[in-house]
Amino acid sequence: MSELLKVENLSVSFDTPQGTVHAVRDVSFSLRPGEVLAIVGESGCGKSVLCKSVMKLLPGTARVESGRIIADGRDITHLTEREMCRLRGKLFSMVFQDPMTSLNPTLPIGRQIEEAIQIHEPRIGRKALHDRVIELMELVGIEQAEERCKLYPYNFSGGMRQRSVMAIALAGNPKMLFADEPTTALDVTIQAQILDLLREIQQKLGTATILVSHDLGVVARAADRVAVMYAGKIVEIGTAEEIYYDPRHPYTWGLMQALPALAAERGELKAIPGMPPTLIDLPKGDAFACRNAWALAIDYEEEPPMFRISDTHYAATWLLDERAPKIPVPVGGKAYG
Amino acid sequence: MIQKNPFLYYGKKLLSFCLSVFVLSVLVFYIARLAPGDPLMSYYGERVEKMSVAEKEWARDKLGLNDPIYVQYVRWLQNAFRGDFGISFKYKQNVLTVIGARIGNTLLLGGTGFVLMFVLALGLGILCAWFEDRWPDRVICRLGTVISCIPEFWLSLMLIMVFAVMLRWLPSSGAYSIGKAHDVGDRIRHLILPLSIVVINHLWYYAYMIRNKLLEEVRADYVLLARSKGLNKRQILFRHCLRGILPSYFSIMAISVPHVLGGTYIIETVFSYPGIGTLSYESARFHDYNLLMILCMISGVVVIFCNILSQIINEQIDPRIKAQEVVETTEVKRA
Repeated sequence: MSELLKVENLSVSFDTPQGTVHAVRDVSFSLRPGEVLAIVGESGCGKSVLCKSVMKLLPGTARVESGRIIADGRDITHLTEREMCRLRGKLFSMVFQDPMTSLNPTLPIGRQIEEAIQIHEPRIGRKALHDRVIELMELVGIEQAEERCKLYPYNFSGGMRQRSVMAIALAGNPKMLFADEPTTALDVTIQAQILDLLREIQQKLGTATILVSHDLGVVARAADRVAVMYAGKIVEIGTAEEIYYDPRHPYTWGLMQALPALAAERGELKAIPGMPPTLIDLPKGDAFACRNAWALAIDYEEEPPMFRISDTHYAATWLLDERAPKIPVPVGGKAYG
Repeated sequence: MIQKNPFLYYGKKLLSFCLSVFVLSVLVFYIARLAPGDPLMSYYGERVEKMSVAEKEWARDKLGLNDPIYVQYVRWLQNAFRGDFGISFKYKQNVLTVIGARIGNTLLLGGTGFVLMFVLALGLGILCAWFEDRWPDRVICRLGTVISCIPEFWLSLMLIMVFAVMLRWLPSSGAYSIGKAHDVGDRIRHLILPLSIVVINHLWYYAYMIRNKLLEEVRADYVLLARSKGLNKRQILFRHCLRGILPSYFSIMAISVPHVLGGTYIIETVFSYPGIGTLSYESARFHDYNLLMILCMISGVVVIFCNILSQIINEQIDPRIKAQEVVETTEVKRA
């Protein structure tokens, strides 16, 4: 069993008064034990929905249309809420975007961590429980845990709250951790600390992590593998090295060119023109075609399949078809051909 | 959370309390005396009609009703500070004695109704939130809207008709049968109908509020984290969400005391239940000034006290609420 999580052809949609929103479209990926997979993409491309649909945390209006989710060798696609409760926290757990609102303001931090431990170890003694809380708080870098476990969330700063959320997420020793934009709501200096902490914990405990972000800089710091998502689909997936040094999808190029760090050499920061399509009425063919400077005629007709570049590297663009014209790659080192 | 100096904090509250009570007493005193009607009616009853003008004048003089109102007020205030609130024109007894004989009945009716109502409202609200938008929720909400639109006096009459007149299960009026003042069973039987009205009339509004507040809470971000750590729906609702709404529920309980009190007065009148509600009605109708004054002051003090209490509860529980905001919201609810 080499894969901890395997998602096959997953499609998720929401029923809204405006129509059906196809938030996740035919997504497949896998996660190996102990690795960090980053999912990057613009706001609203379905990153969060993807994570929440694996944990079945989506609201009632969401519908899994097709696909399978296999976690730890078990098909969890059709599990009931009761069965999911047993897996959440133990098999997988989640860290959310906004630490200001994701903690219950009326309970002390320590109590909220205790609760997460007790769910999976109801018989744990008082002393052992307290020790475990302190241990978790120290693990996520909260100093003076002994006194601070009695404090309420409003006594904590944003960074401290996000650390507390991580302590809660790690309380059941999960095999997988979903980190849904864990640094977006924090200020820049704290962002780096939280990312380093995430990486450190992942190495110490060997927790496989899915890191959702819209920031390639954040991802470069932490990820082993990267999946680029656009309009509910994964358009390119590969190791971090492959994605950063040999990107193949025009959307990935666009993201790279929009990175201040990479643009510095050329003195020009490029934005991707246009807006992502609404996920209600998707255009025919490739959803990215109308924003793509290298779009081919076929892009407007038919969605590209996943082309294999190497065993680990795949991209969905017709440019990889052998009949496509050879073009110079604007970023990274290599050219097609 | 209390500001730096608790003396200052509670001092301010006490000051605003005293000021409100003072203004209330002046208003009630003036309005009662300016209202048309003859206070001698309640003192002499039918005999007034046979009295000559001179006799009437003498009687007014004796009762001190001929002085300007402010002189009367100052006299009343001076006596009140000595603990003398005057006599009831009708009962010819100290007003406190008159009220003392009745207030127990009202406390029993209002108090039991209040507690029952809030326990039931909490239960119903949780039930509705649990079954959000499914049939139990829909039925309870619709039913509640309809029932709370029925005026309580009409509902009282209907219940009297069904349970007292047609079925003859329960007595239609009074607090006890003649000669059975100390029979607990008999008292309870007399309490059932008025109590049902108190509860049925106010229950729905608070249940609906609990439901909506809970649903708001269930959609909060922290519920996602609670779910992702493995808590089930019941644990989240009772351990997390209920905790978030109880503070505001307590403060609303305090604000609702006046509503329940007002409702009790009407119900007492309909059921001829010997409480201070019927007493207020009589005293206002027959211009029994001293009695009316004290009854209004008791009700007023309760209302003002409850409002200030709810304000303190809110500030204690949620330090982020600024004093001013609470004053405004309670003011709006009172209006």
